[in-house]
Amino acid sequence: MTSKDDSAALLERVNEACREKSPLRIVGGNSKKFLGNAVEETQTELSIAGHTGIITYEPTELVVTVRAGTPLKELNEALNAAGQMLPFEPPEFGGSTIGGVLACGLSGPRRPFFGSARDYVLGMRVINGQAQDLSFGGEVMKNVAGYDVSRVQVGAWGTLGVLLDMSMKVLPKPAKELTLRQSSQAHASHEFASLLRQPLPLSAAMLVDDSRYLRLSGSDTAVDAAAAKLGGDVVTNDDQLWASIKDHTHEFFTQGIQSHGGESSLWRISVADYVPAIDLDGEWLYDWAGAQRWLKTSESAERIFDAVAQHGGHATRYTANEDPSQPAFQPVKDPMRRLQSRVRDSFDPHRLFNRGRFHPEFDHVDAPDGAVSV
Amino acid sequence: MSANPSVPLAEILETSDILADRQQRRERHAIALQAIVPEEAILSTVEQLRPYESDGLTAMKATPLLVVLPDTIDQIQAIMRWAKSNEVPVVARGAGTGLSGGALPHEDGIILGLAKFNKILELNEELGFARVQPGVRNLAISDAARPHGLYYAPDPSSQIACTIGGNVAENSGGVHCLKYGLTVHNVLSATVVTIDGDIMTFGCDGHDNEGYDLLALLTGSEGMLAVTVEVKVKLLPVPPVAKLVVAAFDSVEAAGDAVGEVIAAGIIPAGLELMDKPAIIAAEAFAKCGYPTDAAALLLCELDGLAEEVDAQVAGVSEVFSRCSVTSLHVAESEEERLLLWKGRKSAFPAVGRLAPDYYCIDGTIPRKQLSYVLQRMDEMSAEYELPIANVFHAGDGNLHPLIMFDAGKPGELHRTEELGSRILQLCVEVGGTVTGEHGVGVEKINEMCVQFDENTLTQFHSVKAAFDPEGLLNPGKAVPTLQRCAEFGAMHVHHGELPFPELERF
Repeated sequence: MTSKDDSAALLERVNEACREKSPLRIVGGNSKKFLGNAVEETQTELSIAGHTGIITYEPTELVVTVRAGTPLKELNEALNAAGQMLPFEPPEFGGSTIGGVLACGLSGPRRPFFGSARDYVLGMRVINGQAQDLSFGGEVMKNVAGYDVSRVQVGAWGTLGVLLDMSMKVLPKPAKELTLRQSSQAHASHEFASLLRQPLPLSAAMLVDDSRYLRLSGSDTAVDAAAAKLGGDVVTNDDQLWASIKDHTHEFFTQGIQSHGGESSLWRISVADYVPAIDLDGEWLYDWAGAQRWLKTSESAERIFDAVAQHGGHATRYTANEDPSQPAFQPVKDPMRRLQSRVRDSFDPHRLFNRGRFHPEFDHVDAPDGAVSV
Repeated sequence: MSANPSVPLAEILETSDILADRQQRRERHAIALQAIVPEEAILSTVEQLRPYESDGLTAMKATPLLVVLPDTIDQIQAIMRWAKSNEVPVVARGAGTGLSGGALPHEDGIILGLAKFNKILELNEELGFARVQPGVRNLAISDAARPHGLYYAPDPSSQIACTIGGNVAENSGGVHCLKYGLTVHNVLSATVVTIDGDIMTFGCDGHDNEGYDLLALLTGSEGMLAVTVEVKVKLLPVPPVAKLVVAAFDSVEAAGDAVGEVIAAGIIPAGLELMDKPAIIAAEAFAKCGYPTDAAALLLCELDGLAEEVDAQVAGVSEVFSRCSVTSLHVAESEEERLLLWKGRKSAFPAVGRLAPDYYCIDGTIPRKQLSYVLQRMDEMSAEYELPIANVFHAGDGNLHPLIMFDAGKPGELHRTEELGSRILQLCVEVGGTVTGEHGVGVEKINEMCVQFDENTLTQFHSVKAAFDPEGLLNPGKAVPTLQRCAEFGAMHVHHGELPFPELERF
């Protein structure tokens, strides 16, 4: 693994952008270029890909500290060699970096049972929009000194700062994993709820077509006992199945979706697991025990946002589309928008980072009199 | 007020002017607030205000202008709008059990008491959540959920009294947080009222919300950003089996190494606690729970889950401890014995309180691998200052609670103790740790923040605060020091073993 501290150069680049008030688009492995709103190509690219390497990793501390540009694949290999893992099972879209994973706040099938990317972040070193090199949190699991800025950076799409280094809690890999396939009808409300209320060693639960897949993780005896209780067919090569769901290489994700204004787009819908089937046309895959739903549809963004909002959830477009009337993220309304915009302001007053990529409505600065300027 | 002959007359007059002015504002504000809440929900006399002068950090006291006890969210919104337009500081308060002075009143502000918000609004056993008002006690949630086979995981030792609103403000942990996480990992959403009087919800019923994760920012923000008025918490299935392994070692280093080996073996215990010899002897004398008093260090290792999983893990940790030169190994044979063995650990603080007239409690976290070094340095400092130290340690997550024993009656001893406490916290930061693992900064550790964070980072914290509360009216002066203030350290002072709320189990 290459190891290089590129932070001084990155800091200088941000400093320069800050002086010139010139916006930057932050890039890691560029594996998630299709995600989020299209950004003007005139924005200067700031690549963190050269800032790489594991800074410290001691398995008995359950903590790894790594530079943002480290490829996820390499990090996973290093953890795997020590019998450990990132418990949030982040997706790998081909060249993904850990910085990109955390900036986009992406978690995989294990999420409802083990927690999300933000749950495992302990500390972060960040360059804010005033070109200051700041460190929040630390390398310890319990730390209540100062606001929990590291966790807020997760899923902020770089709009609160350039992520430099991150410390995460890791966990031992389970002794055994086993996946069961059960026949199941289309998603019914509370489909997974009764399973989730039992002390079962579940680590993934999804529904696709007419099959429900349940993954169990733990000691040999505990997994076998739970499998006997739940029943179903044991899935061979289940590692590949879950990787294909996580990394979007499963045929559900690879077929019947066209990008750039094509017929059908892929949407991620985040709702409570017990929300009934949502009235939107298309093909559905239910992951996270029903809390993360994938929809292939030709419905308009507006219609999707409305339908999902009625169930208290939100939708994200997963197919590139440059039409500004088809935003990638569910727009946030006042007074929440005003507050979130002020939070962006507190980190990036000049709106240098990833302008337009995340929620463009946070890119506006509210004047005290309520007027909005860009 | 009694006149002090050494104080110049002009100063006394000035002080009495301030007091007279405060009394005027107290009366004026009380009348104004009667338009929002009933008269009996406003406390304004000296007798009424006294119980609110401090929280669990009783060494610090201040009298608020008023205590207001609303019982609807509408009232809270109206109070916040009133406070903003009149520039009156607001300090929210739950049960007042916090140990860092987070709910210490502001002399020119009001206490917003949330005690009347004590209802569990919904307990949904089918969908696994509880929707509660902020004044509901932590343990009351688990008590209500347990008949349905569910519970709320974070279990701070003061859980019988502390409220969920306070838990959100402090990001409370508990002895089981290595496996089950902190408050931030177990709250689904929090509904807050901002200083503008707006009501909004951070988090949602799904696993993430649109925009920034403000729930993460709110949790542990010590009442600086918004007032929490409703919380939705996750309920987990009660583990069918819990077993406790007690292992004795002839050195703290050996016990510390054993902790690392358990983790290396791929086992995450539900709880993993370490006590050193002074703490073992004190706890055994107090609780008579059967600890081996000849041991130099004791590990309490709890494993929970399915019977099959727990059996495998008990065998696993027993094997690890045997490899790590354990001097005695015991698995609690009954539920009664398991609880008794925990009682010893949980009463370590009052137990130490009986050994010396006073003690200081420190709350730092260190990387676990630094334990031996930190303990050795503390031994040296203890000898240098001639003050004994007992140690209890949440070994699984590196949270260290050294207890410095001293006698405030001896001239200079309190000062020496404070200095020693300062140096221990400095040591925690020096080895890569933090000045507070779970008690919060409050007013108590406001100065120590300067050691942990540089100027730019502190300034960024102030900017975050300003995004929510530009005028700085919510809990002013807490959690993040102004740059001018960065000077010295503090620690919890316990006089004659008198813990605030002595009936509570601690830490």
